[in-house]
Amino acid sequence: MDDIKVNQNPKLGSIDRPNSYIGRSLPRENAKKHLDGGGQFVDDLTLPRMVHVAFLRSPFAHAEIKSIDTKTAKLSDGVIDIFTAKEIDEVCKPWVGVLGHLGEMRSPEQSPLAKKIARWQGEPIAVVIANSRAQAEDALELIEVDWLEKDAQVDMETALDPNAVIIHPELGNNLFWTRTVNQGDVDKAFKEADAVVETTLDFARHTGVTLESRGIVADWNKAENKMTIYHNGQAPHMMQHIIAKHLDLNEGLVRIISRDVGGSFGIKVHVYPDEMAVTAISKKLGRPVKFIADRLESFTTDIHARCHKISGKLGVDKNGKILAMEIDDLSGIGPFSMYPRTSAIETNQVLNLSGAPYVIPNYKAVGTVVFQNKTPMCQYRAVGHPIAVAITEALIDKAAYKIGMDLDKIRKINFIPDNSYPNKSPSGVPLEDLSHQASMDKLLEIMDIEKFETKKKDDYQKGILSGYGVISMCEVTNPSPLFYGVGGAHISSQDGASIRLEGSGAIHLSSSITEQGQGTEAIMKQIAADQLGVKLESVRVTLGDTDATPYGGGTWASRGAGIGGEAVLKAARKLKDNILNIAAAIMQTDKESLDIEDNNVVRKNGGEGISLQKLAETVYYRGHEIPKGTNPELLATASFLIEGIPFVFTNSAMGCQVSIDQDTGIIKINKFWAVEDCGTQINPKLVEEQIRGGVIQGIGGALFEECVYDDQGNMQNATMADYLVPMAYEMPDIIVDHVTTNSGRSIIGAKGAGEAGTGGAPAVIMNAINNALKQVGAEVISQPITPEKVLKALGKI
Amino acid sequence: MIRLICYLMGGKYMKAANFSYYEAKNIQDAIKIKANDEEAVILAGGQSLLPALNMRLSSPSCLIDISKISGLNDIIIDGDYLFIGALATHSDVMRNEIVSQKMPCLIDILKMVAHPAIRNKGTHGGSIAYGDPAAELPALAVATNAEIILSGQNGDRSINANDFYLGLFETAINQDEIVVGIKYPLLKQGQVFLFDEVCRRHGDYAMAGLIANIILSSNKVNDLKLVFFATGDKPDVADKTAKLFLQTGYDYDQLKNSLSSEIDFAGDLNSSSEMKLHLATILIKKIINKLEA
Ligand SMILES: Cc1cc2nc3c(=O)[nH]c(=O)nc-3n(C[C@H](O)[C@H](O)[C@H](O)COP(=O)(O)OP(=O)(O)OC[C@H]3O[C@@H](n4cnc5c(N)ncnc54)[C@H](O)[C@@H]3O)c2cc1C
Repeated sequence: MDDIKVNQNPKLGSIDRPNSYIGRSLPRENAKKHLDGGGQFVDDLTLPRMVHVAFLRSPFAHAEIKSIDTKTAKLSDGVIDIFTAKEIDEVCKPWVGVLGHLGEMRSPEQSPLAKKIARWQGEPIAVVIANSRAQAEDALELIEVDWLEKDAQVDMETALDPNAVIIHPELGNNLFWTRTVNQGDVDKAFKEADAVVETTLDFARHTGVTLESRGIVADWNKAENKMTIYHNGQAPHMMQHIIAKHLDLNEGLVRIISRDVGGSFGIKVHVYPDEMAVTAISKKLGRPVKFIADRLESFTTDIHARCHKISGKLGVDKNGKILAMEIDDLSGIGPFSMYPRTSAIETNQVLNLSGAPYVIPNYKAVGTVVFQNKTPMCQYRAVGHPIAVAITEALIDKAAYKIGMDLDKIRKINFIPDNSYPNKSPSGVPLEDLSHQASMDKLLEIMDIEKFETKKKDDYQKGILSGYGVISMCEVTNPSPLFYGVGGAHISSQDGASIRLEGSGAIHLSSSITEQGQGTEAIMKQIAADQLGVKLESVRVTLGDTDATPYGGGTWASRGAGIGGEAVLKAARKLKDNILNIAAAIMQTDKESLDIEDNNVVRKNGGEGISLQKLAETVYYRGHEIPKGTNPELLATASFLIEGIPFVFTNSAMGCQVSIDQDTGIIKINKFWAVEDCGTQINPKLVEEQIRGGVIQGIGGALFEECVYDDQGNMQNATMADYLVPMAYEMPDIIVDHVTTNSGRSIIGAKGAGEAGTGGAPAVIMNAINNALKQVGAEVISQPITPEKVLKALGKI
Repeated sequence: MIRLICYLMGGKYMKAANFSYYEAKNIQDAIKIKANDEEAVILAGGQSLLPALNMRLSSPSCLIDISKISGLNDIIIDGDYLFIGALATHSDVMRNEIVSQKMPCLIDILKMVAHPAIRNKGTHGGSIAYGDPAAELPALAVATNAEIILSGQNGDRSINANDFYLGLFETAINQDEIVVGIKYPLLKQGQVFLFDEVCRRHGDYAMAGLIANIILSSNKVNDLKLVFFATGDKPDVADKTAKLFLQTGYDYDQLKNSLSSEIDFAGDLNSSSEMKLHLATILIKKIINKLEA
């Protein structure tokens, strides 16, 4: 349980001292609360006079609302009122999901409830407010809507055709955003290449499927002009700004409380029309209003992700050196760009990250993002990574096959060398502190890759198609202000921590980073206790409350440990300094001779010390006993942000081995390996949970998950019975190992670890499957890779 | 089934419409209520019914809860039959000693039905009565020529499973009747039931499944009944194909042709009709391989 990892970060001090918690796999305390059913989720909250809502949602992907008649419905039992866009718009201003820093984005205004036209199946058009959710649903049945169904633009591939249905006539066509990256001269390089390979890959839409669905309770207090929002989001301060802005409230009087959150994966960091409507209803009625999305609503209104079609081309010389890479990506984002982060980021990441581990002197990437009549799409765990990594690694495998080179060797000779950082990706993004070479070496060692060629041949003799793959990737973590802030979004890239010693001797820590189940609270505690020299159990943590925590960005883009953790470290060091100053004054010695161990100020050379409790009592209750002029502050606050580069990158190498049943098309992942370099691991077990959980989500993308739509834009599988996520039986053994290259940007040296699994697994699984299929001349290029697609590739059906 | 609902509703409902609830004390009690209220439905384990209600696929007037009736979960040998009471849960059946001795394939089958939490509530009778075309137990009942015991206002009657399933979710249960148990004929000398299915995830409804009732004599297949599930609108009996197999052995193309003429394969989200036809053909091979092993 207490396995000690060698601390490779000299800035953190020795791991053998008392209270050295950084680097240890300590159990997280808040897990007990959940096991005991003691969590506090939004739906657990009941406030006096609280009402419930149910939304009437468009059953069509594209339709004109000719009229809405709510007369009969208003008479239904328990109904308090029914609002349409007209009433909600009186208190809530519309928004536009564009940012200024990535070239021209075109998206129209969006309001909480659709006005004349509904543009996706599931878009809210009216809302019933009632004493219970069931009563609200009863009344929904009685609302009469006169719909005029319109042709829907469902397929992204025809969205820019001359005869496409134009979703927003004022924009003239369905183009949201496009970007081209051009480094070097790809055309010339392809001409000089000894081998050129091409492929086109397809990625289905999928979604985050959080265990706890989206939920909000909005409580407008007219007397205090104060809006309190209980919300299971990821970025409380962002929500505070947005709700104040669109409801015209004093931002300082908007309080966002995000207690326990049952998973988020990026799904809960966006502004949703139904949630904005709830805040507007509370403002109008002066009562607390609760909305909890049910599973059907989650499937048709939580953001979707990954709807991409990408073609790529790679040129190598006869020694396997990559000369050029070119990609062209198309993505469909639904009818609106999401607010405030926009729906351009996934494509932007594809352009930035393709080819990122490798030296590719000539690189061209084109991204096109279009509107369509489906659920809006936006950032979800490992934004863009699965597409970027899959296209890169599929092309590299193809090149290796073409020139007859081993899969690991072609990668090794093309890696940006570990000793060459700071460096740049082929797209021109700055990279530093990465270790593709060391990570791949480690991966090959733990996989024992040599044996797979033999196994593959043996299996083939027995009629089993087996195969393996290895990949390398970069993961975007710890973004700087250059990610969103520079484009005009009020999304903080700085995070704060505040730590105090209380009269009882207890330590209280608050941070602007939030917890959605990944263990934020646990690592914050470990950092604070470690740096301060106190027992873990003496630290109490408050997160997720804009009235009680420092200002900051919250949790997304794998930024908790690297940014929020550094702020905690700095705050703890400041507090320690204050404590030692006071102690030195009380003990009449110099500060340098003192330290804190196990909640006591100790003399390094032995001799009597003073407990933190005694010290606190002295400061708080008998302040006259401390020498005059001593700073009595037992409270310290610090902030941190990444400066000078857009992101801190992490890298991973992954491998897997699969077998395919040629009769049924069923794919079995026999084993999965991941080597992650996320710098300092504050709690190795939590890092490994992140990797494993991410890999499972990646397996979902590769083999199972898909939001299936028919030609009219109706989602066909909006239930947990029909939308397939991997379950225990579908999870292989996942072996996780590490290489540690600390980030030079901080003392703590931690980079992010939350998204690599999701970003890399789809690529390595697809490569392993194609490695197996190659033996019979078959190939799959579309995810999820279903049994039916495999059988089609094999020519069996 | 479920996907049909959300298609129609555009994802509108997750709470059941109002209904009244009646906890039946005994079978007669349940029958009386049911006979007098056309819109009342039986509630057993609720694992199929409750999701359907929550999505407002159906809004019955009354749920007659039979789960508290005692004596409806017996598992006993009754002459030449293994009798399983309607309220025996999937978990009860899987743990039962008599079942493991007399009908071991039932345990293998139930391992593929959903997941432990669902199996702890879902009942044998509920699965038989619901008649989901993708469910395993209706196909087993047909394959083994089981008798389904119904209780109604005029007393009990027994109907052969082959006559029980009429169409999609349609059975021969009358308005006033409830299923009280299922009687599976005990295995005879040389007889085996074999089962296999192909699903995307463990515990899911299959893309295609097969239950074979095989009579062996001197180690050769002498007689064979093939019943497929998750292929059409009810358990699909493939007698012609079985006969062909007895004549010619396993020949993929021939059997596939025969199956395609005999069964109206209906595709779903996870497998097209073409895929189901292919898998059905493959399942015969898998069953034969099992037999040989
Ligand atoms: C996630 C999930 C996965 C599943 N996977 C599978 C699977 O792979 N294979 C499979 O076969 N099943 C599967 N099931 C269904 C499960 O086996 C059900 O429990 C079973 O089919 C119905 O049993 P029940 O007791 O829950 O019936 P209920 O849900 O209570 O009732 C179902 C229907 O049968 C009627 N009924 C019930 N009992 C009687 C009776 N005694 N007489 C007359 N009518 C009656 C009810 O009125 C209702 O219409 C799954 C269920 C879930 C939720």
